[in-house]
Amino acid sequence: MSKTLAIVAVIVALLVGPASAHRVDEYLQAALISLDTDKDHVEVFLRLTPGIAVSSIVLASIDTDGDGVISDAEKRAYAERVLADLSLSVNGQRLTPKLVSVDFPQVEEMKEGLGEIQIAFNAALPSGGSNRTLVFENHHRSRIAAYLVNCLTPRDRNIRVLAQNRNEDQSFYQLYYVQADALSPPLYLKWWSGLRGWNGWAAGAAFSLFAALLLLFRQSLLTRFRGA
Amino acid sequence: MTIVSIKAFRALLALALVGSSLTAVSAQTATTRIVSAANTFLSTLDAAQRQKVLYAFNDEKQRATWSNLPTSFVPRGGLSLKEMNAAQRTAAMALVSSALSPRGYEKVQQIMEGDQVLKTKEGNNPIFGKDLFYISILGKPSEKDPWMLQFGGHHLALNITIDGVRGVLTPTLTGAQPALFTLDGKTVRPLGQESDKALALLNALDDAEKKQAILSYKLADLVLGPGQDGKTIVPEGLKASAMTAPQRAMLLDLISEWADIIHQSAAEARMAELKADIVETWFAWSGPTTATPGNSITAYYRIQGPHLVIEYAPQTLGGDPAMHVHTMYRDPTNDYGRSPTAK
Repeated sequence: MSKTLAIVAVIVALLVGPASAHRVDEYLQAALISLDTDKDHVEVFLRLTPGIAVSSIVLASIDTDGDGVISDAEKRAYAERVLADLSLSVNGQRLTPKLVSVDFPQVEEMKEGLGEIQIAFNAALPSGGSNRTLVFENHHRSRIAAYLVNCLTPRDRNIRVLAQNRNEDQSFYQLYYVQADALSPPLYLKWWSGLRGWNGWAAGAAFSLFAALLLLFRQSLLTRFRGA
Repeated sequence: MTIVSIKAFRALLALALVGSSLTAVSAQTATTRIVSAANTFLSTLDAAQRQKVLYAFNDEKQRATWSNLPTSFVPRGGLSLKEMNAAQRTAAMALVSSALSPRGYEKVQQIMEGDQVLKTKEGNNPIFGKDLFYISILGKPSEKDPWMLQFGGHHLALNITIDGVRGVLTPTLTGAQPALFTLDGKTVRPLGQESDKALALLNALDDAEKKQAILSYKLADLVLGPGQDGKTIVPEGLKASAMTAPQRAMLLDLISEWADIIHQSAAEARMAELKADIVETWFAWSGPTTATPGNSITAYYRIQGPHLVIEYAPQTLGGDPAMHVHTMYRDPTNDYGRSPTAK
């Protein structure tokens, strides 16, 4: 936070009184990524909450004509600016986000540091292999931002998240996942077994051995019952 | 089958029947007690007050009207303690108490006392104080049909669904500010155990386990706080399947700080469910790994399982994060008791 912003934060906090109940000098930006809203798309839900000490700065960038009212055009223009500060890619291929919905709180709520801007957008996924690396970066208002980013647990059992990486402030997020319906049998086994270090041949051999053991076990049971 | 084994089978069956009927009687007693307390409370109200308290069971707007914020910022439905006379307040708190365990009720009272301390500390600020807690009932109090009791205000949201013998406490938010204060000469830490038990668990992990449990990034707030009903995120941290039996016991003991807020029979059913899930449960930590003696941690942690999300999130707002904490307790498969089979 810059020195000027820190001074503004302290002054505003003193003026408004109950600072203990508000988010103060941060612009909370929480992203939830959904992989299975639509199989061909990735969807991102953003919740943006400017703290009371920074709400005037954020509001000024939204209410660009300064009339104290956030028009539909201003809402959309701000949402597009937010999207321009984000980047989303899959397997190194940059995706083009498209706005799905925008919802703004009342100006008064924002001034209190309580209003939550909600932006939903999606992007078409490129066709390709089953192993995917999604990268989400958020650089919107980075000097005052507190970022959160998470992936919603996929409901589709064919999608399995393998790993997540983030940098310390969560402005950078990397998600490794697999779409199992496109897998070959050895890799499928590798995925379920959790032995992701195995190569495909080793997993295939283990699978064959397991199947052979099952067959032998069944055979021995049948023999026992026939003998009884 | 021999005569001995038939007798043994009959004896086991009889024991099982006695056991299950005892459980049912105990749970029925809890529901009966809560329904009775609810009807007693309603009988103290005049028509206008009763209208404010009662909502339809399927009122989704009211169901989701809860928050960590003060009630002046997010107005709650129902009737506040401020709007009640002494007898009505006593009946309202008796209803809340009937649905909770003794420790759960004590925790609720301490959170409310904390808000009163905050009010005094903030120059008698009218947005805080133990008068500003609201009670509402969704549906008709019944021993058979589902209904809900909501009680909350700043840093508290109890959503209790009663459905026959079942009692469900999710989603519930607890918070504390200040997280440590003195009342009648005694030190009070409403959420002190949530902090101390988590730190003890972290310290019980070896270096490799700690490396797995501690996240490399900062968490500024709850991820699945108010407004995030039914959502689950991909779990992170250390999976309890990789923990030792004593570590798992410590994790369950930590979880009980939330699960045991509700009355005993509902808490026992819930803990049995969570114990069965324990190897699929994750523990993740972000932030400092030490705390000033006697104070709470300033780190965020999350416990997540197939039927559980717990978040503990210290807040920087108001100064010292050890003195201001928000926590969230959810069952994403059964928030508001929506699953007919869950505990």
